[in-house]
Amino acid sequence: MAVNDFIYMTGSEQARLLKSGALSPVDLMRASLERIDHYDPKLRAWITVNADQAMAKARVAEQEISAGKYRGPLHGLPFGVKDQMHALGFPTTLGTRVLDPHETVAPYDATVISKLADAGAILIGKQNQHEWGKGGTIDFPFGQPRNPWHPDYDASSSSTGSGIAPAAGLCSFAIGEDTGGSVRGPASCNGIVGLRPTFGRVSRHGGVMSGYSSDTFGPLARSVEDIAAIMEAISGHDPKDVLCSPRAVPKFTSELSGDLRGIKLAVVREIAYSDGVESEVAAAFSASLDVLRALGATVEEVSLPYAKWAVPLQMLTTDADVASWFLANFLRDRYMRFDTGTRTRLAASALIPASVYHRAMRARTVVRAQVLDAMRKYDALLTPTNVTPPRLISHAAEVLGSSDDVIPKLIRRRIAHYPFSLSNVPAMSVPNGFSKDGLPLALQIASRPFGESTVFRVGHAYEQATPWHTRHPDLDKTLAVTE
Amino acid sequence: MDVSIEQLKVLLELQGMKQVPAEDMENIALRLTTWLTAMEKIEAEMSAEINASEPIPPVFPREEF
Repeated sequence: MAVNDFIYMTGSEQARLLKSGALSPVDLMRASLERIDHYDPKLRAWITVNADQAMAKARVAEQEISAGKYRGPLHGLPFGVKDQMHALGFPTTLGTRVLDPHETVAPYDATVISKLADAGAILIGKQNQHEWGKGGTIDFPFGQPRNPWHPDYDASSSSTGSGIAPAAGLCSFAIGEDTGGSVRGPASCNGIVGLRPTFGRVSRHGGVMSGYSSDTFGPLARSVEDIAAIMEAISGHDPKDVLCSPRAVPKFTSELSGDLRGIKLAVVREIAYSDGVESEVAAAFSASLDVLRALGATVEEVSLPYAKWAVPLQMLTTDADVASWFLANFLRDRYMRFDTGTRTRLAASALIPASVYHRAMRARTVVRAQVLDAMRKYDALLTPTNVTPPRLISHAAEVLGSSDDVIPKLIRRRIAHYPFSLSNVPAMSVPNGFSKDGLPLALQIASRPFGESTVFRVGHAYEQATPWHTRHPDLDKTLAVTE
Repeated sequence: MDVSIEQLKVLLELQGMKQVPAEDMENIALRLTTWLTAMEKIEAEMSAEINASEPIPPVFPREEF
């Protein structure tokens, strides 16, 4: 089988071939590694790759599968993780210059990595990200990550490489981390699917992060079915994470269907129809609603007037949590080793008075109550994932010169993500079109706490009725373009 | 609320951040001003509901779902 026949298949399609013996895990891994060698000097999706280890594990997977010891739909699939979680044998760089090499030694495997290893998936390496998993990095220590659809364009933050790599056919899937929108943003900008799970659904153990009330690990892949299969593997209670839920994990992949009859959806008016939504995004979103109606769903509008406050409230709460950790670690004594974007953001958040923080935490519960009220009436809420198409890297950088930069640089790219991050509900980005410049657009589907099955059902039905997830960048052409 | 550079210097000193260079000051002041000003507007719109709520982080959902 030729490489081009399988490299852009969904992980689920690859898995079926691996199980049947029509595709070898060794051939799949070799193809992924060769593509990383060839394309990543430009894309910069990866920080650390261990090719020898990955090939050795692929050979073991091949032996196991041929011996009838098939472990399930992730067995033999190559994957990568945002460099914000520990994996034994790999440095945890966090995409920063702040740490000395001896401080990046991983002490153990993150629980998600252990679970994926048990499922037979094969870790290639660690993926590039915004510094410490905070959005806003301007100068990337491990190279400027680039959008595979056009290298002059932004690939979003902060699980940047975890969005680029599956989209570019460098691996079958990735695990990112979403505090505000760091899985959904890269999924949207790179043209793949990305899920922020319900807080507590996936263990955070082994992650290096300090936004304790919002941090979530979530998968990025080339189809909703892939995301459902990954979630079956990584979800579930972990005593090493005190905030991890004991709830049983549904068999997500068995709940997928193409029928949305009986499903009640609502468009969040203040986000989807705001002045900041660019026309191409609005048109793709409107077309998506038509598809969902044709599949049998009812689509209404809902008003969430407090959603507009989600970005500042997240900054006044979660960012303050994060900054409090950094005040005790590095911000006072290694300030100049941080990227300018990270350090100015952390410094500002470190100065938020405790009284303001607590008022913001109270306000957060009010906003969340409004979101949950809507979810009592509707099975899922809909918005565009991003209100603009991907922007040029030079325009996306969070360089603040004046108050005129606040809306376009700090607010707009977060506005659709944060109401659901603040609420800690599941939210998924699904490709829903392309801009006139050939860059991906996306639909966001959010549901009730622990309502991933509904998110998957809606996303899968939409995906099966549309062609967007079958389109992939021809890197030999797209990467040849220069600004 | 506009956070001035002079106010910012005092706040940074109080928090022990003594390495912040002059070229970062405007940026930090702009960010802090943005978030504190937003909170003033949030208070203006929602203060009664804020007063009636408790600052419970939504880290372990216990709703009926």
